[in-house]
Amino acid sequence: MRRLFALGVLALVVGTIASVPLVQAARKLRVVTTIPDLQSLAEAVGGDLVDVESLTRGTQNFHEAEVKPSMMLKLRRADAVIENGLDLDAWADVAIEGANNPNIVRGGRGRIEISRGVEVLEVPTTRVDRSMGDVHPRGNPHFSLDPGLAPIITQNIVDGFARLAPDQRGVFEQNRKNFLAKLDGHMAQWTKTMEPMKGSKVVVYHPDMIYFLTRFGLVQAAVLEDRPGIPPSPQHLVNVIRQIKDEKIKVILVEPWNDVKLANRVGEEAGAKAIVFASSVGAVKGADNYIGAIDYNINTLAKALL
Amino acid sequence: MYARVIVVVTLLFALGAAPVGAQDAEALRRELEQLKRQQEQYQRAIEALSERLKRLESQPAPVAAPPAAAPPAAPPATPAPVAQSPANPQTQSAPPSATDLLRPRQPFALYQQRGSGQLLFDMGVTGDFVANITQHNVQKAQGGTFAGRENRFFPREIELNLFGQIDPYARADVRIEAGEDAPGAETGVSLAEATITLLTLPYGTQAKLGQMRNRFGWSNVVHEHDLPWVDRPDVYRVFFGENGLVEKGAEATWVPDFLPFYVQVLGGVFNGDNETAFGRGLLTHPLATGRVVTYFDLTDTLALQVGASVANGETNERLQSTLVGYDLKFKFRPEGWLHPLLTLASEGIYSLRQGRESFGWYGWGEVQPWRRWAFGARYDSTQYPATPGYQWAIEPYLTFLPSEFLRFRLAYKHTERTHRDLLDPNVNGGSARIMDELFFQATFILGAHPAHAF
Repeated sequence: MRRLFALGVLALVVGTIASVPLVQAARKLRVVTTIPDLQSLAEAVGGDLVDVESLTRGTQNFHEAEVKPSMMLKLRRADAVIENGLDLDAWADVAIEGANNPNIVRGGRGRIEISRGVEVLEVPTTRVDRSMGDVHPRGNPHFSLDPGLAPIITQNIVDGFARLAPDQRGVFEQNRKNFLAKLDGHMAQWTKTMEPMKGSKVVVYHPDMIYFLTRFGLVQAAVLEDRPGIPPSPQHLVNVIRQIKDEKIKVILVEPWNDVKLANRVGEEAGAKAIVFASSVGAVKGADNYIGAIDYNINTLAKALL
Repeated sequence: MYARVIVVVTLLFALGAAPVGAQDAEALRRELEQLKRQQEQYQRAIEALSERLKRLESQPAPVAAPPAAAPPAAPPATPAPVAQSPANPQTQSAPPSATDLLRPRQPFALYQQRGSGQLLFDMGVTGDFVANITQHNVQKAQGGTFAGRENRFFPREIELNLFGQIDPYARADVRIEAGEDAPGAETGVSLAEATITLLTLPYGTQAKLGQMRNRFGWSNVVHEHDLPWVDRPDVYRVFFGENGLVEKGAEATWVPDFLPFYVQVLGGVFNGDNETAFGRGLLTHPLATGRVVTYFDLTDTLALQVGASVANGETNERLQSTLVGYDLKFKFRPEGWLHPLLTLASEGIYSLRQGRESFGWYGWGEVQPWRRWAFGARYDSTQYPATPGYQWAIEPYLTFLPSEFLRFRLAYKHTERTHRDLLDPNVNGGSARIMDELFFQATFILGAHPAHAF
């Protein structure tokens, strides 16, 4: 019995000593984001002080991400989780619950929602229900790729990181400033590129480009989906094709995860071009980071609309 | 002489005036003190305002270039009228002041200030209706899959779900269900689940207590309306009863963070009320459960989950009953797909009860080539745990999903039993040894519904 007790104490001591270097080595914040856009922004803000992983890939539809235990494993080890909010990534709650990590549950210090302070578009002004499709009662959640909102999003990330590492707030702030300065340089170029296209109408497959289009003065004339999240009916497609023809719309924007074939068919029928755009960082080749994804969309749109 | 008079008069005047001057000084001092107090109050107010200003300034500044107003020329595709201008309800409504907090109010008056579209907790309703057609002899024997409700259309499970955070440390889930248990106009209402989950326990642990669907295998926790089949697999129905294993007690999970793959270890203690497998129903002779589940992302598109479960308790006759189960689930979800193209799964349970060993299992495959359509089949083979014999069944089905919230399913099930011992021989003299059943299922989701893991 004594021998067992001594062995137990020895194991405890060895375990404690062994765990010290691990704790000391783990200086970087382990951050998990729900979508890749936020991973790119978190990396820009956190720099060398963070390790960031995303739960989803850019080629996925974030509304319907499947909650996998591998997500839970990432979340189990996380110091912080950054979520988009506005119900885009509501599935993250299930993954977080399965991770058994108290730091990131709702109300935890490591829970960072980046929609705080964002001026939300398409907020329903009347009663909504599911007859309108998979409508978001709190407004359109696809704002992360609007470069004009990057200052707000990155500020929310800085505040979240600073809660966990208050001593590093200055570094995070400086990283943010550097990133925004770089973004400003691109923004000037993007604005110049899109200037001749201002007022142009485009058709989207799913309404996830409204922030981007509005930012650069383009008009979302129609949506291929009959209602958000519900596949289009033939009658609706006929109407959209007629509208494209009548209004001489040149472009249909389609996400890589959506029905590209259908968008192509509609485009062929209506005389417009269906373009797969970067609906997120990593959605297409060349959209490997935040600036790259916006750059890709600007160049692709400009080329198609000219 | 004149000068002396003047001096004396002055002195007298001064002496007489001295108390008046002292009174003035006293008044001045009080006034000064009052001013000082006021200044301190102002100082405190300024400090408070400065602090508030600082807080406000530390919040994200509005974008330099607000989005250009670009109202669509055509009517919006979304039927809901929308505000193109920013209108975040959270940012629009002012937080309640101290006076608001003290004012007598209706229970949800303060909550309403948070804006529309937000609830203190989520709520939803799910409805699951089933119709089944089978042979007359099966109906007579009440030996169908939905025993006693053969050749009927009935609400199997209408469920009210309430769930959300209790506080920063715990969440609650309550499910109240109603459904037809026996033919007739009456519909029974019961508590399906009510649990508290403690989310902030240390060392990667979490605890759940209340009445719950036990995490035994992967399908036992799934509610009827969410099952990928019309009916629960035979192995669960035979070993645990029609509703599977639902118990009152507590279970704890542990997720280690040092392994390169996901593992969840679970242990639980329950009353053991399930009369089919246990039935003692006492915490002094509890039902103990355990489960280990792991998961592997084989590639970006292929995933495999493997689990093992055990449950040990006592029967009503005070005999030990042990069940050991395995479960496998494999999915192939091509890149960018909104749903899996192929799902394969199997679960098996070995039962040791009153010295009798029995085993049951099922294998299932489903293909979903289109978003709205899926088809598949399940094969069941199950020995009886308390009597000799076994049964097997094959059940192909077709599922149509108009949307994420509405589903219709058509299935055919052929079952063969070695003999009729499982059934009550006195019921109308019917036989259900071989039966063919046609199922129709309609399921809806109204309101909030939590996402499901893999």
